[in-house]
Amino acid sequence: MTENEFDKLWQQAEVESYSQRLAAEYPSWRRKQRRAIGMVTASLAVVALLVLVLVAQLQQPQDFEKVYCNRVGTTDAQWASLAAEILME
Amino acid sequence: MKRLLVILMLLLPVVTIAQSELYKRYASREDLTVAQVNGFKLNETVRVNVVLVVADNEAAWNRLKEELDIRGEEGVNSWLGDLKQPVKRVKWNGKTLLRVIASHARRTIGFYRIDNEEQYDALLDYQLNKMKK
Repeated sequence: MTENEFDKLWQQAEVESYSQRLAAEYPSWRRKQRRAIGMVTASLAVVALLVLVLVAQLQQPQDFEKVYCNRVGTTDAQWASLAAEILME
Repeated sequence: MKRLLVILMLLLPVVTIAQSELYKRYASREDLTVAQVNGFKLNETVRVNVVLVVADNEAAWNRLKEELDIRGEEGVNSWLGDLKQPVKRVKWNGKTLLRVIASHARRTIGFYRIDNEEQYDALLDYQLNKMKK
């Protein structure tokens, strides 16, 4: 075997060794990547939710902040109006 | 998707905490429509939380009247009530209490939570100013 041939074989062996290491580490890398994507998605979802809440609050009329009701059918503004009317009776 | 559900589950207690004990007490009853108006504006700087209880029928209204010891058939009954037991009539003592107003015509009771003197005064001013108009 010439020195040149030895070098080529050596390089080939190195490449194969790297390939095997990469193949072995791929599942763990993939898991980490999925986890990172998941965290970014969750963070974006939280930010989007906060923005929605903020926008909803900014759009609320000024005479009340938030209304909870156990039934549907009456609007938040109508409840606030009832709260005002009861005080004036 | 699972993560979103987890986030929503985490936010649920926040919403539940924002609802008062008074609201929860009446909201589970089938013959009552209940609303909680948070941050009801009395003036530029003062807001109060209000729970409104509307009886869906005469029987429900009579039951409410009995529970809260409301007498009479017309007009409005108004008193300062204990925070935990609104039926108890109390005097203003600087502690958190409820201004309870019962309207027979509307079969509705409003519970206005008063935490401090500023809110107490603002509520009275609101009533006086609106009545003058």
